[in-house]
Amino acid sequence: MPHEPLEKVVERLLDGDQHSRREFVQRLGAMGALASAGAFLAACGGVAGTEKKQSAKQAAAAANHPKTAIGTLVVSNWPLYIDKKTPKGWERKYDAKLDYTEDINDNDEFFAKVRQELESGRPIGRDLVVLTDYMAARWINAGYAEKMDKRNVPNAKNLLPSLQHPPFDRNRNYTLPWQSGMTGIGYDPQKAGRLESINDLFNPKFKGRVSFLNDWRDSGGLVMLGMGIDPAEATKADVQKAIDKLDKANKAGQIRRFTGNDYAKDLASGNLWACVAWSGDIVQLQADNPRLQFLIPKDGAMVWSDNMLIPQDAKQPYGAETWMNYYYEPAVAARLAAYVNYFSPVNGAREEMEKIDPKLASNPLIFPDEETQAQLHPQPSLSAADERELTAQFQTMTGA
Amino acid sequence: MSSAATAAPAAARGRLSLRRRRALLTYLLMGPGVAWLVLFFAIPIVNQLWVSLQTGNADTGFQQTYNWSVYPDSISQYTDQLFRSLGYAATATVLCLVISFPLAYFIAFKAGRWKNVMLLLIILPFFTSYIVRTVAWQTILADDGWLVHRLQDVGLVAHDGRLLATRTAVIAGITYNFLPFMALPLYVALEKIDRRLIEAATDLYASRVTAFRRVTLPLAMPGVFAGTLLTFIPALGDFINAQLLGSSQQYMIGNVIQSQYLVVRDYPVAAALSFVLMALILVGIAVYARLLGTQTLRESIA
Repeated sequence: MPHEPLEKVVERLLDGDQHSRREFVQRLGAMGALASAGAFLAACGGVAGTEKKQSAKQAAAAANHPKTAIGTLVVSNWPLYIDKKTPKGWERKYDAKLDYTEDINDNDEFFAKVRQELESGRPIGRDLVVLTDYMAARWINAGYAEKMDKRNVPNAKNLLPSLQHPPFDRNRNYTLPWQSGMTGIGYDPQKAGRLESINDLFNPKFKGRVSFLNDWRDSGGLVMLGMGIDPAEATKADVQKAIDKLDKANKAGQIRRFTGNDYAKDLASGNLWACVAWSGDIVQLQADNPRLQFLIPKDGAMVWSDNMLIPQDAKQPYGAETWMNYYYEPAVAARLAAYVNYFSPVNGAREEMEKIDPKLASNPLIFPDEETQAQLHPQPSLSAADERELTAQFQTMTGA
Repeated sequence: MSSAATAAPAAARGRLSLRRRRALLTYLLMGPGVAWLVLFFAIPIVNQLWVSLQTGNADTGFQQTYNWSVYPDSISQYTDQLFRSLGYAATATVLCLVISFPLAYFIAFKAGRWKNVMLLLIILPFFTSYIVRTVAWQTILADDGWLVHRLQDVGLVAHDGRLLATRTAVIAGITYNFLPFMALPLYVALEKIDRRLIEAATDLYASRVTAFRRVTLPLAMPGVFAGTLLTFIPALGDFINAQLLGSSQQYMIGNVIQSQYLVVRDYPVAAALSFVLMALILVGIAVYARLLGTQTLRESIA
């Protein structure tokens, strides 16, 4: 890319493996601040719970957000998740001001930060937040999310069909994806040969040369696919079967590490031959390591989204909807996808991308074809209690 | 008359208030330090002790149930990681001592005008971030790297073996990262030694080895003690090296605490493990001070 944005250059310098937009920040956060403020504050004293009855507001039917003048729209998103032009374009179009903050580094951490307001029914001072599937599900179930007034978001029709009915928001009443990503296998064909299936990761030939992501939703989901279980419909027992399988492999020394996206450095330097990987990372790695491949295994791959969602009692629900609507214009989404390199949830962005960068437009990891999309499975959607138990089990299995 | 009568008590008052002012000054000077300790040490400690006895979960909330069994439970669940931490930290501390002593000795006695340059070189790595330094070791120890290939050539590493994601890498990482904490106190202790004492020993027919053993070494003990503590304590709670240079078979207690706080969000277990770690350190220091003699402890603190 000839015109690399400054943030990316800085990120590259900071991070040897030059890919990890989100996890890099997350990792630094976790390491630098062991007692991260959010989690730490939450730990202080008896903390009230987050499972709340469905609020009366949520039960009410369709939302109605009349058009008003937008003052300042407050949006929270993940770092390095936007290009320079999109905010200005929106401001011009709606003659409003955008207060865009990159203050979400980790779903749980962000949740801990705003939990007290959410629980006591107060606004959290943001009109739009971007949360990964399971966290969006938690907010919707607890009544912390505001329904969209779909009349204000006509462009929502551009959402890719494969993302229209996630288990946590069957009709996309609350959420629209910002970016999506695939979790599959990243590998080096020169070392590992050609791979086909998730179960190849358990091949003893690769002992100590494979890694899994440190998250049961991604790693467990893939292992379940290899066992013939559909992760979207999986029960707790199914996930536990997958964790057991990983446990055996780990004890046998098959698994080198459980990683955040620091797997990328290991994969690029040849320490890893194959690993559970995110599509966006591999796209960025391929720029310098063209031999690396991202495999959508024949058993299927996982798909996840970071979703835009309006929190309860947002001051500018209409403003938030105009922002969603603006982003769902294919030209805007294409421009953003050219910068972010994850997969764009907006139909028509590929055609627009042809005009910006034809090479990216033909990249199946940014614009997967329909056949590929059919192979993608959403992450398991379980109760908060089950998820908590599985998180604890998975962490124990990894030795921490 | 009346003016003299009023002047005396006034003077007495003045003296009193001066004394009082002095007392007040003492408290004022102590104030910031005490406030700091209360605010950032005492209160968090009490708070975390309180948290450790709660039961519940992050979603439905924690209630105070005075659940003391969290301590034996978490110790027995994470025995491996606790012993591993002790082993790694102790090994790294000994390695640091073995490497640092000749280094500090050389700088203190032989370096001459290069002394400051050499001290600077020891501190220099601290100019970059801890994580960056550790990540750099990932490159040095890489499977396809120069070092691993040479070690394979001489048979120190098996042909299909590796250094990264092994115990060796983790201990080496800890040793590297904490070396200055050992070297600097040792240097200070050695530098302080009055050379005439060594001269006197040799005058009294002590061989150079005897002079070193009977004079230099005992006088350097405060430095050994301080350096050992400064290395061992942070090494025991470290999790970066195990995370970046180890595999899940090398996770230390710090990794568990981090994961329990930030991933699992089981705050009571995390708090309890933190207290166990603190207790281990206190017991360790007590035993160590006992072995070295309390006088050394007092000197090293002074």
